[in-house]
Amino acid sequence: MSTIVALWKRGLKAFVRNRTGLIFSLIFPLFFVYVFGAIFKNDAIENPIAYMLSGVIITTVFENSLNLASTTVDDMVSGFMKEVLVSPAKRIEVAVGQLLSAATVSTLQGIMILVIGLFIGIKFTSWITPFYILISMICIGMVFSGVGLFMATKVRSGQTFQIIKTAVTMPLTFLSGAYIPLSMLPDLLKYVAYLNPMTYATAFFRMIVLEKINLSNAELVKEGLAIKINGLIITPAMSFLIIIMIGVIFIVLSTKSFVNTDFSRINRSSTDASALWG
Amino acid sequence: MNSIIEVKNFSKTYGDFKAVNDISFEVEEGTIFAFLGPNGAGKSTTINTLCTIFEKTSGTLLIDGKDVTTQKSEVRSAIGVVFQDSTLDTKMTIEENLKMHCVFYHVPKKEVEERIQFVLNLVDLVEERKKFVGALSGGMKRRVEIARGLIHYPKVLFLDEPTTGLDPQTRAHIWEYILKLQKERNITIFLTTHYMEEAEVCNKIAIIDGGKIVAHDTPYALKREFTKDKAFITTKDGTKLEQLLSEYNLNFVKKEGYYKVDAEPIDVLLQVISLQKEDITDIEIKKGTFNDVFLEITGKKIREES
Repeated sequence: MSTIVALWKRGLKAFVRNRTGLIFSLIFPLFFVYVFGAIFKNDAIENPIAYMLSGVIITTVFENSLNLASTTVDDMVSGFMKEVLVSPAKRIEVAVGQLLSAATVSTLQGIMILVIGLFIGIKFTSWITPFYILISMICIGMVFSGVGLFMATKVRSGQTFQIIKTAVTMPLTFLSGAYIPLSMLPDLLKYVAYLNPMTYATAFFRMIVLEKINLSNAELVKEGLAIKINGLIITPAMSFLIIIMIGVIFIVLSTKSFVNTDFSRINRSSTDASALWG
Repeated sequence: MNSIIEVKNFSKTYGDFKAVNDISFEVEEGTIFAFLGPNGAGKSTTINTLCTIFEKTSGTLLIDGKDVTTQKSEVRSAIGVVFQDSTLDTKMTIEENLKMHCVFYHVPKKEVEERIQFVLNLVDLVEERKKFVGALSGGMKRRVEIARGLIHYPKVLFLDEPTTGLDPQTRAHIWEYILKLQKERNITIFLTTHYMEEAEVCNKIAIIDGGKIVAHDTPYALKREFTKDKAFITTKDGTKLEQLLSEYNLNFVKKEGYYKVDAEPIDVLLQVISLQKEDITDIEIKKGTFNDVFLEITGKKIREES
């Protein structure tokens, strides 16, 4: 238990100390809000800034949790992970600590954008909304921390890992409806988007932020908050369930994979990660 | 004295390649044991297997009576490890690194502060405790790692090339700490090195080459067995000297301007010299070094890594 707390604190400290990283992690999302919010101003969306912000917040949580959990690879290269793995600390606790710290930091980043959002367009009418938002951010943070850690344990080469990470996060972000509404995508990409877990995370999160919980299914589809695949309507509640299921699968997979990885293949004499899993 | 490390018939193979081939040795409690060998001889494979990081292919490896394969957690609690490359968290301070280590090794909370003081004192880093590890020099980092390896009071401390890449002054300091440690806490120290002069201060040495232990003894015994003192003789009459040396069964090599002659047994050499007093212009006797031991045994020079 104390191992989990220690690694969690380590993640938080690294986050708080990295001021430059902190500022840049805010600039990009707000830039997207500004650009896409301006593009969709004349469209059917009633509150484009709030609409964009909800997408951007959840994307931030998604990208950061995935990134942070996969920094386990950096810990391998820097050697710190070797120190952890040669200690009597339980590997499962190490994995959980890494997951929790990634989920927490990414949630904090989401909250920071949300706070800025409160000044530029998001308004809550119900006091319960912030709690729902917080819970969904933590859940989605955990889900994609699981994905990130899983990727990290499967790494063969540090350099290709960077490329793969971008190749995974970019389409997942842009084909999730977070920036571009799904209704504007060509048919082929729409089907790709239906396979994207982020599509469901975005729809669910947006419904909560825009406080549209009480709308009927037809209205939700019209607003792009429920997803209609060939007549089958996936409601936000179902979306949430899908996300949680994917999350549970990946958290179990990543922890298992982390516990069982044969670290005897680590080549520390190499300075970059490319020879790491060779 | 009882053995704290016991290795019996240990082998490790990667595919067809035998990194370590059926080695056996024991290390007595409270001693300094050095593992010598050229790069790729199997030193790191052995140390990593003893530290529970690598899996053995066959054999038995026990530390303090516990099996490194089946009792990993017990073994890990009993050992401290300083790896060849830094394993510190550079974004944290020295103090934070030590505290984190105490958590991993289940050091009782109320003892943490006292132990941090103790180990930092040992390596002269009390003043630097709040400094970030990333800002420290290579020698300081190594000292932090030694301090960290000790904070959970291990029975055995593994040092994988603790002084490689450090300047001579820092190396001397690190050795001071190691010796102080062994005296004060009676810790068993298992180290690998390729600095021959460092091996000489150890209690026992095993030389490993091509995955096999080729010699295992005290430094003194190894030196006696494998080195010969040499005499460098310059003479006006080379043919006569060669004749005499062959007559008295002394091995020699003719070099540019001088002869390199075995100086043992010394009385025989003195006799040869006395027979040729008038012609000999210069004699220099050199004692055998540990480098010679290594060359004699493995037939190759230990190369220094950068």
